[in-house]
Amino acid sequence: MIPGTCAREKEVAELLRSGHWPQACSLELHAHVGGCRACGNLILVTETFQRARSNAAGMARLESPGALWARAQLRRRNAAIERIGRPILGAQIFALAVSVLVAAGFLVLQFRQGAPWTSWIKDFPRSLHLEALWPSAPPTFDGHLWFVVPLLAALAVLSGVVAYVASEQE
Amino acid sequence: MPWETAIPDVLAGEQPLAGLASASSPMDSEEFAGFYERSARSLWAYLARVSCDAALADDLMQESYLRFLCAAHPTDGDVARRRYLFRIATNLLRDHWRRPRATSIEEIPEEVFRAADESAPADTKAMLGPAMKLLRPRDRQLLWLAYAEGYSHREIAEVTGLASASIRLLLFRARRKMAALLREQTSKDRRPL
Repeated sequence: MIPGTCAREKEVAELLRSGHWPQACSLELHAHVGGCRACGNLILVTETFQRARSNAAGMARLESPGALWARAQLRRRNAAIERIGRPILGAQIFALAVSVLVAAGFLVLQFRQGAPWTSWIKDFPRSLHLEALWPSAPPTFDGHLWFVVPLLAALAVLSGVVAYVASEQE
Repeated sequence: MPWETAIPDVLAGEQPLAGLASASSPMDSEEFAGFYERSARSLWAYLARVSCDAALADDLMQESYLRFLCAAHPTDGDVARRRYLFRIATNLLRDHWRRPRATSIEEIPEEVFRAADESAPADTKAMLGPAMKLLRPRDRQLLWLAYAEGYSHREIAEVTGLASASIRLLLFRARRKMAALLREQTSKDRRPL
């Protein structure tokens, strides 16, 4: 037993819980509580807290349970979607990593073989027949990448913008 | 095929994933409304008195119910559900106390001041408010659960996560401290000006 406690605390607590204190309390217990510090503390604290509870409960501003229910459904749905999306994101990262590795391997292999595809890049502008689209273009740009590279870059940027706008509209 | 069509049940909220199976809650919206009506006021009182902040109690109460609905809560009656709800609220309070406080007054939303002003008259009238502020948060929790909610030591241990054996001693000390503060408050109020 903790020093300072009283053996009759349980009895008093039971009376307080059932609402029988002090009306249904024996005179003898009443007299005991009058002189017992521990039981007095118990009664003081319990009555104060019970009063505070009923006062505070009346001050509560309750939200509609329907709104809470709907928000909980939304949260659960978002959690489910996130849970499903997690492996998809993982698969995308894995696919990207594999693609980068394959591309890097291919480039290394090509460079080791003397990079035969560089001649293909040199011939690429000619294969596009860009001179036909550009009447006043200088007739001799074959083999020069100075014109093709900015053009391709512009095309890439433009297609990126178009793709972004299209996805935004969706 | 759009991926949404592959998981129609989940998106429709009809049949959750295996991981959330228990959260599908046998509790429907009407049953929840009933449970909410029975438990919300006492939960708010607990949060408001223990945190000494009415606006915070509003926020934490909403969050407690949302977590309750999203988690796998007990299905064996109102008493167990209520206890579980109080446990969620207690954890939220603990998280709030652990969070670093706002350092600048600009960071505190306007509503906080408004709510504090509204609740101030009720708090100053009550004897408990000032005494509660002088106690440690854990003592406030223990006292409220024991004497306002009437929970047993075992139930308090379940709600707070403390060892059941230590509840008795902690509660005894907190009660002694609270009784002294209340007596002091009473004698101050009675003292002639």
